[in-house]
Amino acid sequence: MQKHIIKYSFLIIIACLSLFSCVKEVDFDQADDIEISPVMESSLIFFEGQANNFLLNGTEIISIKDSLSINFFNSEFIVDNLIKADFEFEAINSINKEFQIHVDLIDDAEQLLYTFMVPALPSTDGSDFISTPKEEFEGDKLEALKKTSKIVFTLSLLPGEIINETTLGRIQLKSKAVFYFNIGDKG
Amino acid sequence: MKFLILFLTVASYCSSFSQNKQVLYGFSDIPQSLLLNPGGKIKNDWYFGIPLLSHIHVNVGITGSTVYDIFANDGIDFNTKLQNAVYGMSSNDFFSVNQQLEIFSGGFSFGSSYEKNEYLSFGLYQELDFIAYFPKDFAVLALEGNQNNINRPFRANQISVAAEAISVLHLGYNKSVNDNFTFGVRGKIYSSIANVNSTKNEGRFITVPGRNNFYDHIFNLDLEARTSGIASLTDDGSDSKSVVRDLKKRILFGGNLGLGFDIGFTQQLNKQWSLDASLLDVGFIRHTKDIENYKIEGDFVFEGVNPIFPDLENGQTADDYWNEIEDDFEDIFELDTTATKYTTWRPIKLNTSLNYAFGKKKIEACNCTGEEDGYLNSTGLQLFAMSRPKRPLLALTAYYYRRLFNGLQVKTTYTIDSYSPYNIGLGMSANLGNLNFYVMADNFLEFKNIYNAQSVSLQLGFNYIFNKNED
Repeated sequence: MQKHIIKYSFLIIIACLSLFSCVKEVDFDQADDIEISPVMESSLIFFEGQANNFLLNGTEIISIKDSLSINFFNSEFIVDNLIKADFEFEAINSINKEFQIHVDLIDDAEQLLYTFMVPALPSTDGSDFISTPKEEFEGDKLEALKKTSKIVFTLSLLPGEIINETTLGRIQLKSKAVFYFNIGDKG
Repeated sequence: MKFLILFLTVASYCSSFSQNKQVLYGFSDIPQSLLLNPGGKIKNDWYFGIPLLSHIHVNVGITGSTVYDIFANDGIDFNTKLQNAVYGMSSNDFFSVNQQLEIFSGGFSFGSSYEKNEYLSFGLYQELDFIAYFPKDFAVLALEGNQNNINRPFRANQISVAAEAISVLHLGYNKSVNDNFTFGVRGKIYSSIANVNSTKNEGRFITVPGRNNFYDHIFNLDLEARTSGIASLTDDGSDSKSVVRDLKKRILFGGNLGLGFDIGFTQQLNKQWSLDASLLDVGFIRHTKDIENYKIEGDFVFEGVNPIFPDLENGQTADDYWNEIEDDFEDIFELDTTATKYTTWRPIKLNTSLNYAFGKKKIEACNCTGEEDGYLNSTGLQLFAMSRPKRPLLALTAYYYRRLFNGLQVKTTYTIDSYSPYNIGLGMSANLGNLNFYVMADNFLEFKNIYNAQSVSLQLGFNYIFNKNED
């Protein structure tokens, strides 16, 4: 009886082991090749102003300047993984006057890295005139962006019809950034 | 009905993961089957488990994609396979591990009457449970970004992870009231060695078209992770020696303690039909020591920065405006660390089966009258249900059991569950003299390539058994 038990036990165990041992080839090192390429979009800057917002003591101002310190573009994650960025703008102008927004990218040492301009072309008939300029950051421009710690915005009013309290119309700016990432395998 | 509602309520609140042991359930030749039904039938007079070898159980399960789907060495680009896996899986797919190791166990029958009809069993075992659900939304966000997913919410309630290592000291009582009815209860003291759980996350991140700017990015998050027994192990100044010492202490009830019980019964319907059921691990662990909880909570809508007209009246500059946004962001994503005590519920498990025994042994020489288990075969249906963080796990098993010789029994099972619709299990118990050895495993169809298996479980152990009706 015991012989039988031993014999059958062994048969069953060997059957189990032989099934366990059948393994097709897998390669866990493949995990090192992981590479993902998400595309993130984010709202960037925006503003909206009526024509008479551009008056100071009744006279038209030439420009408004403002700046912000931002430690986003020079953060480690962005520096390591961002491969391309597009800034897309939509400027809606119903004032018969061209506006320009100058954007200066400045690094920690207060050095100007790169500057670009977003025009908001004038509307001659009071209807909304929409400009959709786009700024692409690749190569050296992208490197400049990745060093940016401060952005200076200058809104300039170009020569043309003089604005006064009764000037109608408005200007609106919307913008977004499209960030192209490549995360993982740096080969 | 009340009971069902209670069960489902508890089920939906529990973080739970432990696995079905469909081959062992009802396999009364093996003393450890008593852990699956304290009211099960007992065939031995007394037994003790060989320390550390009496019950070794491992189960690994994954739903959705298999390891082979992702890591096959088939020349297909890894990232393609990964993407296919992510898109092919749902947020209800999960990966789980359950492991048990019996440190010691034993049992003996007693009773006043001639036929000893009562049985005490006891033991200490260690158990490890881990379950992580697949956070599909965030996997897609990581793969694609939000550009192609405007208006799509990325839901935080898909993030659900729980892990627990415990030791369990238990004492069970079993009584055969008469030939037809046996019941049993088992009390348990749990000692949690370490616990991590993050199963009640809520909120979302969504990008929608905005009014002032292209998009409004809405962050609405309420995430929480609770841990006990982890902080002290990762403390500065703790080395591997002190960690091992700490863990040993916790196995022997130096951890966070809890209480629970199992109940069960077996009812003989007639000579051949029987019905049994058990409810296991109705209990809780109170986490009071070495707690570190993390919370991320907040609401925030980001629409961009207004550099020109932030708030001219108040003289606010774009920098101020941006600082406010940064503060808001920090408020949301700042990790609040607390040490609030908490309670976790053990995963409740329900087992029930309907059994039919048949095929009497042909009497060769002896006249073995009065032998209760005169049938060589039995077959039946088993139902297993277990509470889980998201939804209960259900498994239906059909089985066939056969006693080949007096000292060798085998059982084969066919199970349908969350992992697979065709899970075949096989187990045997062999007695050589008083030494009992058992081994069982399931998912045999998948063993031709184990990496392609959705779940694999293995149990084995050695006991020293004195059987009834021997000598």
